[in-house]
Amino acid sequence: MENLVVQNLSKLFRNAEGPAGGVRDTSFVLEPGTFFTLLGPSGCGKTTTLRSIAGLEAPDHGRIALGERVFFDAASGVNVPLNRRNIGMVFQSYAIWPHMTVFENVAFPLRVAKSERYDRDAIKRMVDVALDTVSLGGFQDRSATRLSGGQQQRVALARAIVRQPRLLLLDEPLSNLDAALREDMRVELKRLQQQIGVTTIYVTHDQSEALDMSDRIAVINGGRIVQMGVPRDIYFRPANAFVAGFVGATNLVRGTVAAAASAGSVAAVDMPDGQVLHCLFPTAAARSDRIAVSIRPECLVLTPAETPAAPGSNRLDGVVATTGFLGNMNRYGIRVGDAVMHANTGPETQFAAGVAVGLHVTHANTIAIPDGVP
Amino acid sequence: MSEGLQRRAQGVPLGRRLLRWSGPTGWLSLSTIAILAVLVLPPLAVLLQVSLTETNADGSAGALTLRHYAQLFADTHLYTSAANSLIFASCATLVSLLFGGTLAWIVERTNAPLKPLAYLTTIVSLGTPYILYVTAWLFLLGRTGPFNDAWRNLGGTGLLFDVYSLWGMIVIEGFLWSPLVFLLLSASFRAANAEMEEAARMSGASIFDTVWRISLRLAWPAILAMALFVFIRNLEAFDVPVLVGTPGRVTLLTTDIYLATREVPPLLGHASAFSMVMVVIVGVLLMLYGRVSRSAERYASVTGKGFRPRPFDLGRARWAAGGLILLNFMLVLGLPLTALLWVSFSPFLRPMRWAGLRTLTLKNYTAVFNVPEYLSLAGNTLLVTAASATAAILITTVAAWIAARRRGGGMAVDQLATLPLVFPGIVLGVAMMEIALRAPFPLYGTLSLLALGFTIRYMPYGMRYAYSGVLQIHRELEEAAGVAGAGPLGVLRRIVVPLLSPALLSGWLFIFLIGAKELSMAVLLAGPGSQTMAVAMFDLWVNGQGGELSALGLLWALLMTVFASAFYFLARRSSAAAYGR
Repeated sequence: MENLVVQNLSKLFRNAEGPAGGVRDTSFVLEPGTFFTLLGPSGCGKTTTLRSIAGLEAPDHGRIALGERVFFDAASGVNVPLNRRNIGMVFQSYAIWPHMTVFENVAFPLRVAKSERYDRDAIKRMVDVALDTVSLGGFQDRSATRLSGGQQQRVALARAIVRQPRLLLLDEPLSNLDAALREDMRVELKRLQQQIGVTTIYVTHDQSEALDMSDRIAVINGGRIVQMGVPRDIYFRPANAFVAGFVGATNLVRGTVAAAASAGSVAAVDMPDGQVLHCLFPTAAARSDRIAVSIRPECLVLTPAETPAAPGSNRLDGVVATTGFLGNMNRYGIRVGDAVMHANTGPETQFAAGVAVGLHVTHANTIAIPDGVP
Repeated sequence: MSEGLQRRAQGVPLGRRLLRWSGPTGWLSLSTIAILAVLVLPPLAVLLQVSLTETNADGSAGALTLRHYAQLFADTHLYTSAANSLIFASCATLVSLLFGGTLAWIVERTNAPLKPLAYLTTIVSLGTPYILYVTAWLFLLGRTGPFNDAWRNLGGTGLLFDVYSLWGMIVIEGFLWSPLVFLLLSASFRAANAEMEEAARMSGASIFDTVWRISLRLAWPAILAMALFVFIRNLEAFDVPVLVGTPGRVTLLTTDIYLATREVPPLLGHASAFSMVMVVIVGVLLMLYGRVSRSAERYASVTGKGFRPRPFDLGRARWAAGGLILLNFMLVLGLPLTALLWVSFSPFLRPMRWAGLRTLTLKNYTAVFNVPEYLSLAGNTLLVTAASATAAILITTVAAWIAARRRGGGMAVDQLATLPLVFPGIVLGVAMMEIALRAPFPLYGTLSLLALGFTIRYMPYGMRYAYSGVLQIHRELEEAAGVAGAGPLGVLRRIVVPLLSPALLSGWLFIFLIGAKELSMAVLLAGPGSQTMAVAMFDLWVNGQGGELSALGLLWALLMTVFASAFYFLARRSSAAAYGR
């Protein structure tokens, strides 16, 4: 099997006002079978990266190769046309051709293949296998215009995998489905990817999709990858304030490092209001460095005021400002000094607005991250 | 750093530009550009050349000269004709816009009764040759027509209304164009965002206030663009000027050009210089039109959802609105049809009287059916228009795909395919005539020449249909085919053309319908064996055979109405259910 290698990929778009989106200097290597997610806000360049790999955009710079096969290399002027790359792709709109039946839609990649000629029986067999894989067996003769959103999605998927591509690209495939269906398809898609074991690149702006499905995630902002790692690291060890804020909700407070900290250690941080927080430092920091402290709302435990902090925990004192009941949890806004911190607690803990409370959080869940957006 | 930036700015786009030209897509663009250039550039070149050279007695080109232009501009007649053309075109535009526009709004946005009459009127008028309408109105408004007849019976002297005048021309041309204005504006009224109007009504505005302050302001750029378009077409008009203006001694630019070619020997240098002047005028107007319609697109607020806007409740005024629909039906369909029926069943041209009913005759119809020439005439017309519609659609399908998807050479393809818009029919007729006279093989007076001229003239319309059709196809439908392994030609053949077919069929029918009506170019190019229906009707009119003309015209209009209905229902259906979401 072969690695997908993307090196120094750049593709900038310009409009009358100057640069407008695109990707800059993006590199990554994917091992075979990886489910890799490009996660970022709209306009961050994730789709441009995907389209460059597919061959739908010609990058300005860089190199894209799958194993020995070079798809694109700006230095040597190689640019394999998109129809010769043998990549499966599911588009955001599904792009199901309305003038063809389900069978013809799925058979299309086999009919137009230049590398190999498939006879009638082979086509029938491969289409049937692909449709069975996406649980659409028996839909062969259905007109493509008479499909629900979820069914169109499955047809698009069957079409993408029918030729057993070496790479599968998914461009926000779930964004056009309603919420319940999206949950089902998420599970289905992941199962399917594991079943065929194809290297998959998935583009989304939905962080819960990314965390749920991926082996690895690249968080992209302003055309650059700002953090790459496994889902747990992305969530619990954000490399910067952008990742912390974009992947899940978080409380960010600014502070100053009280004593030099090595990577992976717990060290004290002075807060502007005089309190001291003990934070986990994923990366080393020097004394007096300005940093941001990230605390997830669900990591905060609320107690009546004056409850002493357990060992290995920080305690902040505040006053309940807002309360909200969401059924499976309570959501509180708590005024701590000048800031308002958000805390999510189980539905059983109840505090009224105006009550003084203590906020407890373990040192391991108090993450020190470099201040400012990279 | 700045060096690197410069390299980025210069090197890469060039590389990408070369990439775009290589491979099958590049060849497709280059061959399309070549075919378009061979079609549209010679007429312009030959007009320019003939207008700048002396024509020898044997028809060959002589020395360079500016004489034709000098003579043209020295003759005060040019200025009279130009002023007439200007008054004619602007007033007729105003008539058709007011009439057709009001009608479109009433039909699409109110609860007025009798709406089906408006559609019926439009469909029939789509297929009916202009010349037939013009003759019908000439009869109605003329000396023997019912209006002047009634005036005399009431004791009036002379004529109530002299139709052979500039005002007569304006009224007839205005009515002639109001169905098309109705068709085009009703499409944009139908697509308008009703929520904007509903928001105004909810804010307390009356219907009048809503229409005046919101609807009209929003539609203004579209209306302006449409007015300019109709104005250009009126400036190029030939049927009304030659049929009404020439007998009334009112000359327009188009009729002047026509008359110059009818001299013996034809004044080709003069006609060409005249044609170049018209090309320049139309070209400037088209540029203006391009600007206006671009700003109209920016203004367009089309609803994404497929719901029909709720019509305004006009209250009691709805009967007045229904009256207007009835008036339109009478003026554009009822009265002309009655007049044509009367004339076609009458033994000779005579006023409409009850007494005349007893002497009705079928002789005109028997004449039409017994002359085999009429049958071959119909065959010629169908053949020429079908062939040119097919050719124009084939070329513009590829051209529009290249242009709409901004592939290599897209700009050049777009410019070349829409260039023929600068040729008024009579001007392209002069150019094609000159090309045919110089051709090394006999071309003048053949059906091929007519088909070639029609193809060139109607390519821009094919382009319009195909281009907007391509834009309606979701880009990802093509990209998916590319990723699936299809090359550019495969994408075109397997995805674009099938999805485009409703738009292409509409375009084909549109070209077929207007081609079958075309008089101005055909009258210059048709030889004795290659006449088309419109030319034959013109000859019948000139020869005073109004009865046969009416019989023939009614039968032809009946046939064309079938095609027009197909076009109309196709256009409505495909605008309702656009492919590819």
